[in-house]
Amino acid sequence: MDFTLSDDHLALRDSARTFLDKEVDLHPVLKPGSSVADAGYDRLWKQIVDLGWPGVVIPETYGGLGLDYLDLVMIIGEMGRTLAPAPLFGTLAGVWAIQAAGSEDQKTELLGAVAGGTSTLALAIADANGSYDAPGRDARATAADGGYRLSGAKSFVVDAAAADKIVVAAALDGQRRYFVVDAKASGVRVELVDWRDVTRQVATVHLDSAPATLLSGTSEDIWPFVRDRLYLVLAAESSEGAKAVLADAVAYAKDRVAFGRPIGAFQAIKHQLAEIAGQVECAVVGVQYAAWALSEGDPRASLAAAMAQSYASEAYRDATHRNIQVFGAIGFTWEMKNHLFYKRARCNAELLGSPARLREEVMQFLEREAA
Amino acid sequence: MDFNFPADDDPRRVELRQWFQDHPKPTGRQIAERGLAAPNWPAPWGLAADAEMMMIIEEEFARAGVRHPSVMNAIAVNQCGQSLLTWGTEAQRERLLPSALACEDKWCMLFSEPSGGSDLGNARTTARREGDHYIVNGQKIWNSLAHVAQIGVLVARTDSTVPKHQGLSQFIVDMNTPGITVRPIIDMSGEENEYNEVFFEDVRIPADRLLGKEGDGWRITMEQLQTERQHMTKPGAVWGAGPTARELVSGLIESGRIQDPLIRDEAAKLYIEGEMLRLLSLRNLSNKINGKPAGLEGNIGKMVSSPHGQRMTDLAKRSQGVAGMLKDDDVLPLPDKDFGLFSNWDYAYWFSPATTLGVGTQEILKNTVAERVLGLPRDTDPSARIPFNEAAAARTKAA
Repeated sequence: MDFTLSDDHLALRDSARTFLDKEVDLHPVLKPGSSVADAGYDRLWKQIVDLGWPGVVIPETYGGLGLDYLDLVMIIGEMGRTLAPAPLFGTLAGVWAIQAAGSEDQKTELLGAVAGGTSTLALAIADANGSYDAPGRDARATAADGGYRLSGAKSFVVDAAAADKIVVAAALDGQRRYFVVDAKASGVRVELVDWRDVTRQVATVHLDSAPATLLSGTSEDIWPFVRDRLYLVLAAESSEGAKAVLADAVAYAKDRVAFGRPIGAFQAIKHQLAEIAGQVECAVVGVQYAAWALSEGDPRASLAAAMAQSYASEAYRDATHRNIQVFGAIGFTWEMKNHLFYKRARCNAELLGSPARLREEVMQFLEREAA
Repeated sequence: MDFNFPADDDPRRVELRQWFQDHPKPTGRQIAERGLAAPNWPAPWGLAADAEMMMIIEEEFARAGVRHPSVMNAIAVNQCGQSLLTWGTEAQRERLLPSALACEDKWCMLFSEPSGGSDLGNARTTARREGDHYIVNGQKIWNSLAHVAQIGVLVARTDSTVPKHQGLSQFIVDMNTPGITVRPIIDMSGEENEYNEVFFEDVRIPADRLLGKEGDGWRITMEQLQTERQHMTKPGAVWGAGPTARELVSGLIESGRIQDPLIRDEAAKLYIEGEMLRLLSLRNLSNKINGKPAGLEGNIGKMVSSPHGQRMTDLAKRSQGVAGMLKDDDVLPLPDKDFGLFSNWDYAYWFSPATTLGVGTQEILKNTVAERVLGLPRDTDPSARIPFNEAAAARTKAA
């Protein structure tokens, strides 16, 4: 039993921190109308690829580093803390979908390309109504010319515009299957949407008889496998993001003077920030437990991931709101970065299902356990 | 990082089970002599056990159905006894610790006063040196178990001419000393067995019962409170002990009330928060194993844990609707576990307002977290820097 981060974990986190503190600059998005493209989305991604982060959790067999999820959350936490704009979320989603659904040959080829730094991915699975449930209504596959063609659309696809290949969940004979399309292929059109979190790039993927390769897996467990890991990614971003906005609010409260004292001397401010500190502590340890459970294949790993995401995304939402409240009206302006965190928090809490929806998953898990 | 717990066949467990087989109903003296009363203390009192061993011991006591001295005599074993290891004399340890660890002498704390609970540094009870004795006068309040305790840990003012925190000292007193009167307080839960008032009238305490030096009292007291708060960083409903959200949810599932949408989401929320608290307590334990010093994390833990417990007992009550307003053991099933006093949700609920008052109110804890953990500016206390007697005179004048 050892709940303490190892020196290796801390070293990984510190190197990610040093790199991102130096390279991430959010100032360009503090002008209304700008986007991640103006904030080094592509440049940062090239650097991240050079660092080997896309291959961190890809098994060594396929050319990756084969590290575990605790290592991953050291990196993801720092991405969340700095709101680093780069298509790591989409690439990880694609990696896990291929890992769960691909044949050996498909994994060797597709994951090998990601680990080798020559391929960026995205995962297109949600319908326009926000449903991730199988089989999905908005995209369907038909067999043609010894291969497959996809038509329809997929919504809320993170990092689709940066992707070389997109993993698409589409209905084939009434069953959800996973396909890979080339983002540049004819019949594939990526349309950016006006996503409120301007540090993330989200798109709708339109498919018009687009040529696709079928991944061999048919299991019902493919999406749960991917989803649990994406919960972990969102939760890790959220817990460290919450920590960052707490630190910003504390620093501001020490600095800003009203009624002859730093506002942080007033209990009205102090007590709010103490509350947030409690939630942040809980969120961080919840994320670490979920990362460990997923790495070990623990029977409660799904539960741990849902708990972490549900708790951390609400803590993040509370922390970012408190942060704006402590800053006062200046924190409500576009030129300050407070709203970037607020929006990330809000969007993280909805992207894969709301915290309340996740709590329902937790409860169903517990009911199954009790039965 | 490894969230696995020591295995069921861990040799440390096996050895303990053997001991329980040889001593099926161990006396307090036997437990203490085996080093199991305060296992984390060094020899000869304990086993210098690390935090993992502590967990094993706690679990094996539960398995054997034996209540541990840390429950039977919490003030001595968890909160105050270890102060004698660092601040006490050899003679004090020899005289006081064996009977404390054997649970033959129960201990209580004599800290709060009617004029100051949160502002503990403002204590007015005095201890005046007179030859080989101190003469104590004053009144204490909210003293758990003082009516059954043989030993009390007393904070009293030995010097009124210095600022308030500097003039305090701690004494280990015999509760049967003439001049000490204990009066039980019936709290709102209706039970008589928890709190008391304690009156001191010209009580003569031998000078060798002073812990540390005169003026060390505040530091010793703060150490004890941090330790106590860390103990409360747990997912249980009352003081971190008692039933947890796991028991709440299983009771709600068993009774079918989990299907009520007005109960269901909140139950899930509490379950998740309870698991986070469990992880937090285990991480604190783990930090200890790895030699990281115990810091201020106990303040955060208790700050989260106390309202968590209150919300939990509240949901347990609400799940029963109007029937929950009867004074009765609950109809909500609680698994067959020994939670001591709080083995039913009813008492846990009506007692629960105490948990954001005792061991530092919720407001004091938030101040401590904000100031000591986050580093925000300290609250101003105009009385903290001037001699206690001048501050007291100014108060009288203002009144």
